Amino acid sequence: MSSEKFAELLWAEKYRPKSLKEIVNQEEIVRRLMKFVEEKNMPHLLFAGPPGTGKTTTALALAHDLYGEEWRKYVLELNASDERGIAVIRTKVKEFARSKLPGDVPFKIVLLDEADNMTADAQQALRRLMEMYVETTRFILIANYPSKIIEPIQSRCAVFRFTPLKKEDVIARLKWICEQENVECYQDALEVIYEISGGDMRKAINILQAAAALGSVTVAHVYKVVGLAHPREIREIVHLALAGKFIEARDKLRNLMVNYGLSGTDILKQMHREIFSADLRIPEDVRVELADYIGEIQFRIVEGADDEIQLTALLAKMALLGKKIGYTA
Amino acid sequence: MSTERRVPWIIKYRPKRIEEVVNQEEAKMKFVSWLRKWPNVQKRAALLYGPPGCGKTSLVEAAANEFGYELIEMNASDFRRKTDIERIAKRAATTSSLFGSAKKIILLDEVDGISGREDSGGLEAILQLIKISPSPIVMTANDPWDQSLKPLRDASEMIKFDRLKKQDVVRVLRRICEAEGLMCEEEALEYIAERSEGDLRSAINDLQAVGEGYGKVTLSLVKALVRPRDREHDPFETLKNLFSAKYAWQAKMALSQSQLDYDQLRLWLLDNIALQYTDPEDRARAYEALSRADIYMGRIIKTGDWDLLAYAIDMMTAGVAMAAKNNPKDKYRWVKYTFPQRLTLLARTKEVRAIRDDLARILASHLHISTSLAKSEIIPLLHVVFMTNPEYAAKLAVGLGLSEKMIEFLAGPEKTTVLKYYREFKEAIQRQALQQAISTQQVAKPEKEKPKPSTKTSKKVKSETKSSLLSYLKK
Ligand SMILES: Nc1ncnc2c1ncn2[C@@H]1O[C@H](COP(=O)(O)OP(=O)(O)OP(=O)(O)O)[C@@H](O)[C@H]1O
Ligand SMILES: Nc1ncnc2c1ncn2[C@@H]1O[C@H](COP(=O)(O)OP(=O)(O)O)[C@@H](O)[C@H]1O
Ligand SMILES: [Mg+2]
Ligand SMILES: [Mg+2]
Repeated sequence: MSSEKFAELLWAEKYRPKSLKEIVNQEEIVRRLMKFVEEKNMPHLLFAGPPGTGKTTTALALAHDLYGEEWRKYVLELNASDERGIAVIRTKVKEFARSKLPGDVPFKIVLLDEADNMTADAQQALRRLMEMYVETTRFILIANYPSKIIEPIQSRCAVFRFTPLKKEDVIARLKWICEQENVECYQDALEVIYEISGGDMRKAINILQAAAALGSVTVAHVYKVVGLAHPREIREIVHLALAGKFIEARDKLRNLMVNYGLSGTDILKQMHREIFSADLRIPEDVRVELADYIGEIQFRIVEGADDEIQLTALLAKMALLGKKIGYTA
Repeated sequence: MSTERRVPWIIKYRPKRIEEVVNQEEAKMKFVSWLRKWPNVQKRAALLYGPPGCGKTSLVEAAANEFGYELIEMNASDFRRKTDIERIAKRAATTSSLFGSAKKIILLDEVDGISGREDSGGLEAILQLIKISPSPIVMTANDPWDQSLKPLRDASEMIKFDRLKKQDVVRVLRRICEAEGLMCEEEALEYIAERSEGDLRSAINDLQAVGEGYGKVTLSLVKALVRPRDREHDPFETLKNLFSAKYAWQAKMALSQSQLDYDQLRLWLLDNIALQYTDPEDRARAYEALSRADIYMGRIIKTGDWDLLAYAIDMMTAGVAMAAKNNPKDKYRWVKYTFPQRLTLLARTKEVRAIRDDLARILASHLHISTSLAKSEIIPLLHVVFMTNPEYAAKLAVGLGLSEKMIEFLAGPEKTTVLKYYREFKEAIQRQALQQAISTQQVAKPEKEKPKPSTKTSKKVKSETKSSLLSYLKK
């Protein structure tokens, strides 16, 4: 369709490998999965690993290789962060699992993405389903933190651990995309993208695309994109809190959360970067203490606590620390 | 969550037969014999009176049901002006409607609520009705002793209902627990009954609130959730009582006597701790206590273990109240408390958030990620693209299938430019589709597979994009 001239997709979608053989890195895993495709049989699977390492991609590619272009017909894909309760398991998943198996395939697949965000009772409900319908339905669970998947489910799955992509793999992939898109890119810019994104390929590709939208992928454009997308406000908040201007800091924080829709975890990650920046003049041991606080708060949020309450408590702690060291902005 | 859940238990367990109305033996006997004898009675009307929730309306309904009367009812939610009463009288007089039995009871519920002003002429009309009505008139009231009701009292058989005894309340609660298959601790039921002060309706409501929400009724849950109904403090009083509490139990009582529930209190504290406590250390301590409470709440949601609620409440009440160690005087400071900003902000930004949520859902389905990741990682980058490169942004909007509202949200000050391109592109695509349809019809060549754009054209497209990008940057 030549509508391409007038329509564009996000590159992370456009350049998502369709088939197992296109997947970069993760060779061990891919080899094993190809075997499953060959045998047309597989156990329940659990893919674990950090974001943007190809877990979802691999699962979809596996389905594609098993079923061909029509794969969507045989797969129920759910993102457990959005549909995390027991009700979804009892209705959608159960209905799909016990629905009749089309004659032409060996089994159907339920893909539960971000399954570590499922509630405990939802996981419990899953456990029986995985056994009752195992002949016709296989589950693929995907998680960042496999420890948040309850033991009995882990024991029903073959676990595959995804590792962050290597620097050269990320850079090679970005370069390849730029070639496809006919976009000018510079090696040092790609390296900066890798530094910012770690081994998270999704993040890397997204930054690449936004930088390319500025004209070309240069170091300046990469920084511009990241800077714009991540407002200075967070630095301000840290300053204000340390200087004891608690209420102002809190109001700014709330604005970021409500108006920008930033989650507590996003804010914490950026705060973490801020406290180690040279611009912030505080004793080195205080940086360490702050990092520990931030980590603790992040842990609490991951455990299910309320973002704003937790961050406000963090600001109160910062204010106290700021007073102890006599911080002035 | 089944749909059945929403039926209030006070409806579900309304007595259907006279014998199911507990405790009111004397009233039952008196009322039934009066009804059976009617119209051969001294007083042509009956006035049932007693405290709320002790079975007055229930008895009338049960009797009507059991003896096959049609019940014509008017209560405080209806206007009861002269004309309204007369209309009811007429309805009662017309014998048997389609399926209605000939026998009727006119129930004027809650007559002590008849308003002198709004329901003008109502009382006189009732007196008139009593004289001429072909059916028995039954009235109920909590307090029939008001001077204005004297004429009604004189015209009525007075039937007194007693406050229910604690053991009767417990018995009914236990029966409901059994019917609902709920695990109920005996002490919990006693606690509810004690607090209800003989008002079975409120006791049943309490039971439902706890039982349905948490799947079981334990003493600790009930203690945390059920509060006396007599006097509830508003949020401002609640905060004052909580902060100024000297003892842990006082702080806890501030919540149990509040209109606020623990969930709301969390938000009120979030905004007001900083106003009450000024010392940084006290503040940090208080917020840490609130944070601990919040962690327990998170664990409750996660694990479904509502036993943890007691600890959450301890932390947010006593924990916060005991935090002012450096500056204990702060506890008693007069403070102008604020309404939780989160609630006001959320209300104000509701529309924008709805757009953002829809946008996040679209992105999530394209990228196979969660909506929260779409919000934190993708939307910020799109903001950048939309505000710096309108033409490219418009292509993305077309490709992703975004609405104009979403474009406005993403592009902010650039929205008119992006929208201009967006409409242009959409039209172009439609034109193209039309042309294609015509040409395929002419050639009649079934071209099923999507032809991949040849590298040549796509290269050309790309360089076009690029040059327009560059021209934009030069601006
Ligand atoms: N004596 C009772 N026996 C059985 N159930 C009762 C009794 N009293 C109250 N209930 C329960 O409480 C609910 C409310 O009772 P009812 O409507 O009869 O109260 P009421 O006496 O008319 O109160 P009000 O004065 O507030 O109108 C009923 O649905 C029933 O479930
Ligand atoms: N191993 C990989 N090989 C090729 N592309 C990858 C790989 N990992 C991630 N990507 C790219 O990053 C995007 C996100 O990957 P995804 O599989 O959704 O990550 P996650 O591990 O978080 O599920 C994909 O669309 C794809 O373009
Ligand atoms: Mg994923
Ligand atoms: Mg009543």
